[in-house]
Amino acid sequence: MVSGCLAKIVSSDTRHNYVLHYLAALGVVLLTPVIFGVSRLDELLAAQPLEFFLPLMGAILMPAVFMPEQNESIREVVRSKKTPYLGVCFMRLLCGAVFITALTGAFVLYMKSMDSVVTMRLFAGSLASTFALGAAGFFASAVSDNVIVGYMTAVIYYICNFGLKDKLGVFFLFSMTTGSFEEKEWLCILSVVLVVSGFVLRRLFRER
Amino acid sequence: MLFGKECRRILTSLTFIIYCFVVGLFFVSQYIEENKGDPYIPDEKISEDHDVIMNGAVGNLANEYLANNYICYPYGFYKSVRLNEDDSQKVEECLLEVTGLTHDELMDIRDSGEHYYVEHGLQETMYYEIGELPVSDTITYERFCELMGQVDDILGGGSSYKVEDLVVTYSYVPMTEEDREAVISDLYEKDRVAGGYARLFSDYVGIDLGIMPVFVAAALVSADRRKRVSDLIYTRKISSLKLIFTRYAALVTMMFIPVILCMIAAAIQLIKYFDFNDLALYRMFTLPTFWLLPQLMIVTAVAMIVTEVFSSGIAILLQFAWWFSSIMASGAKLSGSISKFDLVCRHNTVFGRDEFMLSRNDFIFNRIFFFIAAIVITAITAYVYELKRGGRFHGIRLFGKDSIFRHKA
Amino acid sequence: MVREIFHVILFGGDKMEKKIEIKNVSKFYGRKQALFDIDLTIGQGMFGLLGRNGAGKTTLMKTLAALHRKKGGEITVCGVPIEKAKEIRAMTGYLPQDFSMYPSMKTDEALDYLGALSGIPKAERKKRVTALLRKVNLIEHRHKKVKELSGGMKRRLGIAQALIHDPTVLIVDEPTAGLDPEERIRFRNLLCEVAEERIVILSTHIVGDIEATCENIAIMDEGKILWKGTVEQLIENARGHIFTSNVEKRFMPQIKKEYIVTGMLSQNDYTTVRIVSDSEPDLPNTVLTEPDLEGAYMYCLHSSGCDVKGGEE
Repeated sequence: MVSGCLAKIVSSDTRHNYVLHYLAALGVVLLTPVIFGVSRLDELLAAQPLEFFLPLMGAILMPAVFMPEQNESIREVVRSKKTPYLGVCFMRLLCGAVFITALTGAFVLYMKSMDSVVTMRLFAGSLASTFALGAAGFFASAVSDNVIVGYMTAVIYYICNFGLKDKLGVFFLFSMTTGSFEEKEWLCILSVVLVVSGFVLRRLFRER
Repeated sequence: MLFGKECRRILTSLTFIIYCFVVGLFFVSQYIEENKGDPYIPDEKISEDHDVIMNGAVGNLANEYLANNYICYPYGFYKSVRLNEDDSQKVEECLLEVTGLTHDELMDIRDSGEHYYVEHGLQETMYYEIGELPVSDTITYERFCELMGQVDDILGGGSSYKVEDLVVTYSYVPMTEEDREAVISDLYEKDRVAGGYARLFSDYVGIDLGIMPVFVAAALVSADRRKRVSDLIYTRKISSLKLIFTRYAALVTMMFIPVILCMIAAAIQLIKYFDFNDLALYRMFTLPTFWLLPQLMIVTAVAMIVTEVFSSGIAILLQFAWWFSSIMASGAKLSGSISKFDLVCRHNTVFGRDEFMLSRNDFIFNRIFFFIAAIVITAITAYVYELKRGGRFHGIRLFGKDSIFRHKA
Repeated sequence: MVREIFHVILFGGDKMEKKIEIKNVSKFYGRKQALFDIDLTIGQGMFGLLGRNGAGKTTLMKTLAALHRKKGGEITVCGVPIEKAKEIRAMTGYLPQDFSMYPSMKTDEALDYLGALSGIPKAERKKRVTALLRKVNLIEHRHKKVKELSGGMKRRLGIAQALIHDPTVLIVDEPTAGLDPEERIRFRNLLCEVAEERIVILSTHIVGDIEATCENIAIMDEGKILWKGTVEQLIENARGHIFTSNVEKRFMPQIKKEYIVTGMLSQNDYTTVRIVSDSEPDLPNTVLTEPDLEGAYMYCLHSSGCDVKGGEE
């Protein structure tokens, strides 16, 4: 019974609210080999597309989690139901995460087939950057109740990595291109902290 | 007055506050903190010596041709290109014409030298040590450029044989002491100091202005729809042209104010570190305004029309793509290569006046083009708004049955 | 079935007491107090919550639907404390004042989706969606998208989604505002039907809705309960305080200033006015009149010290 309802919620929700987002994320993956070389790359060069471009998927999917209910009238109706509203939002996040992981995995395998040196740590590192970037946008969107602010925050964080690398420290997204993987653990922690606190703050201040 | 009211709306919007914060943050961290009166003088200068350029390009091309591995940066990122036989043949023809060699002579040179292997991913590429190749006496520089352009086309663009970048890629020679003195003298005498710093200022701030305004503009335009007041505004007396242009003017004005404040801060910094008599301080305002205002205008105009026709999400996506490709296309060449349609014009040095002047005409065309285009696009936005107001157009939805045009009940 | 029989033997039949108890409940928005010590008991059937705009009706409704958190006091819905939000939402159906759904969803799909959110299994959901669409007269529009529905149709969809999980309590916030008379009557009849086995709380500022459907009501103003009881009691309270007068039209502005005017009927140079007053107004041709609900409501507001104007100049 629960799985039947869950399937319905996820499929309806995705079909009506997120098709464009998933397609845009797919577009990012398809565009990557056009912009970057993906063949015959060593580990450092292979990190470039995985860090510079694929993380944009997170910036597209994660800030938009609260977007369909920006209209308060719809939000009230959805909130009045037995299934917790934030639970629905969490499911969206989870679906986005699964989609991102699958696409990143597929891309990594493609790079491998093009004789590039791609390792498990590159794959995991790419996911860490993706989720960190997305989580920054998610947090801003959750707290401000404005999806544009969410996208803006993700883009700002992305740009900071080009111009303010030293100031970002362990939250630098493009560390693998310099051969460093330590930052990825911190990015994972950052993602979790931002997502959890986004949900908590939203519940405290928006869902009174 | 509507203009004042729109400005006030923008002032209190969260996206604008974040925009101001970001412009200020990047300005302080990248410009103010990096420029404390002691500009870095590069070790090399552009010589524009045709022989130097041709020798450099030919040597690089020969190595890459023989290894069949060309390093390109079409979007500022590394891309290794391998050609099929036909394309490789075309490159060889260009190479042979430039060097004046025959195919056999080239192969002899190749075979006479050592070879070595370089790992590229899971494969190894063989390179040949061939030394310097001659440049044909009969070839003119113009013909050389033509041939290099053909090679760049074959490689898909972004190669080091791109004609516009040949000078900045191959003509660098070490700076002598006299050169260094000349460069500093140019800064003081031709640029009056402020001119050089104005270019650097515009470079840094221009990066933000290529993307940040889209959020403020998209948020304002979509606010009517989001807050469901569109019908209330549609039924007012004000003309669509007046409404849209007033909003546009308010957006551009408000978003340029933080830029002006940064200009003032930069001017104050110049006064702090340089003798006031050496400064033509007005250049810290005139050049950045000419440089940055058209850019801000075009980004805002495009954001408005795309949001009006599609949605704010698509406006952000498209603008990001445009900004990203503009930033990355300039690649590692951060000065001296401004083209007619670059959104973000780069010039990441206080010096390089001569390099900048090489692209001066293109730069002026670029900014005037965007200025006019921004006005035209805003006028089209007003037209679209009028259509929506009259119920003749409801925006375009990218997916859905029946039609790509939205239907309203 | 066996469980139900067992329950009847042990507990005498009532599985769950169908009432809502609200005791000393307050609610704040930041520092602004929206509800002041609300005390109410609402039993099975239609219960009307009447009050002006800004009286606090919507705030109270949302608190009962576990959408807002109270500060102080107790609320139990059929024995379940309001703090158990999930249980409350499982037994409560809520139709907000401004109902809307994802615009691109079709009508039946939107209902199905909300049914899924209510935890109803697929097979059951399919049956209920069809039955409810039929009940609210939307069956022919089931394939229309939500954004293509008229205001009245949307409201009917709203009531359908509030009933999809067969709730014990139905909370409807100003359901007839903006509907034409025919729609309004249809809506009231529907609510009366569903109220037979449920608690239905109807909040409105349209007296006619209360008159047609509710036996028990409460009147709110500025976050407080001014009065609670039956409609008959409210009307009885106003007996002796509703008057009718025939006055010349030219005196109308002055009369509206001095008295609470609840009705005006113009005839040539004269106007028949209906006035609410503590004592007989000093006007010609004044007659004591049988009170109606509207006048009784206005009298209640007036006698509670509310600033009431019967009409603007």
